[in-house]
Amino acid sequence: MIREKLLSGKFTITAEISPPKGTDISGMMKEAGMIKDAVDAVCVTDNQRAVMRMSPIAACSALSQEGFDTIMHLTCRDRNRLALQSELLGAAGLGIKNVLVMSGDYPTKGDHPGAKPVYDLDSVQLLGMISRLNNGIDLSGNRLEGKTDLFAGAVSNTELTEVALMKLEKKINSGARFIITQAVFDAGKFSEFIDQVHDAGWKKIKIIAGIIPLRSRKTADFLNSNIAGVKVPDDMIRRFASSSDPGALGIEMAADLIRELRGICGGVHIMPIGTHENTRKILEMAGL
Amino acid sequence: MIISRQKEFRDILKTIEQQNIFIIGCGKCAAKQHLGGETEVLEMKRKLGKSGKNVVGCTVLSSACNIASWDDVLTQNPDIKKAEALLVMSCGGGVSIISSVAEKAVYPALDTESLGGVCRDTTVLEQCGMCGECDIWIFGGICPIGQCSKNMLNGPCGGAVEGKCEVDERKCVWDEIHTKLKSLGRLELLKEIHHPKDHSKKRRRK
Repeated sequence: MIREKLLSGKFTITAEISPPKGTDISGMMKEAGMIKDAVDAVCVTDNQRAVMRMSPIAACSALSQEGFDTIMHLTCRDRNRLALQSELLGAAGLGIKNVLVMSGDYPTKGDHPGAKPVYDLDSVQLLGMISRLNNGIDLSGNRLEGKTDLFAGAVSNTELTEVALMKLEKKINSGARFIITQAVFDAGKFSEFIDQVHDAGWKKIKIIAGIIPLRSRKTADFLNSNIAGVKVPDDMIRRFASSSDPGALGIEMAADLIRELRGICGGVHIMPIGTHENTRKILEMAGL
Repeated sequence: MIISRQKEFRDILKTIEQQNIFIIGCGKCAAKQHLGGETEVLEMKRKLGKSGKNVVGCTVLSSACNIASWDDVLTQNPDIKKAEALLVMSCGGGVSIISSVAEKAVYPALDTESLGGVCRDTTVLEQCGMCGECDIWIFGGICPIGQCSKNMLNGPCGGAVEGKCEVDERKCVWDEIHTKLKSLGRLELLKEIHHPKDHSKKRRRK
């Protein structure tokens, strides 16, 4: 189980899976099948990039029936405090043990741009609410019949302004036990982030580095111009420019990066562009 | 000040079925934003006329949302009686007040956006989120409910790129709040965990 493995200090591998856009889960199960036994848990997204999909609670439930340990994403965008709490109770009832909390991309980024943005709570408040549910009390102070035992995590960029670091500290103070970061490409810069968190007094927090395996120069350019908090270094982009096999180079670079990160952080989180077809190979090449 | 935006003229034209129209501007917020003062009312009159509507008259009330008596308005603007419909160039508050007293079809010419202000001749948007429990002092006098796209109370989301909000052209307000609190020597306010808003405060009270 991922919680135990992460807390024991072993290098932990998670991978992102998106629920289907529709009711057919066969594609999602096939995708998960590609990484079965290669990862410790699958992280199931919640209307990722504000694009409407099947709920992560249902997708996590289907995946756990197939033997996967899951981390359910939960954003603040689509649900008020009533819906968030009932979702969390439902998740606990279905045996989901881990949640990853985030604000959520704004609705105008996705495929229902006219949707009403909720943001009744922010991620700090949501983490605090999960801590309350774990203590058997809801946000209004009512006692629960049966409490949750959720292992909650938060997300973070790796280049933080002073005010962003303050927020990260509040997330940890509110009950985040692990942090999954935005995609990392530079291990050196990433260790500065780790130092920043440690220097702020958070030595025990488990940090999992986000990994987006690049496929081509085009994917690198796309990430640099479209994804907040992502910076693919120029030398990586240059290596693609002079490569005759960008696919193989992307796999090699991701594996090298993971190998470098093994001594630095608690684990890696693989977020491929497209499918997980290369994930197993990358992990094997990284010696995992 | 209520911040509004001019509707597209073709959308206004599409909504008004009636032929004989009287235009009402507003001398307060709408006039200050050059959206409902005399110039804009006359321009609207010209455009409606050009589009085949019969504009029977127009006026700019001192404030569309603050009418002492509709009879007074009628006395001063007897042409309103000739109109089948009124086009009101004010915020939703003004349109609503006029609708409640004028026994005619009333149409809005503006879209109401936010509660803002004008400072040193610059119109500023979204200065207040109208949450019903003002604690703006905690944030250095900068309202995160009004100015943060996601209404966050504990700091920025991860979506800003180089200080720009992920949603639109605005800057991430959390950088401003941070700078302001730092200059005031009150950064400890930013370190506190702020609890969710009590939205029941927005209900009517006696």
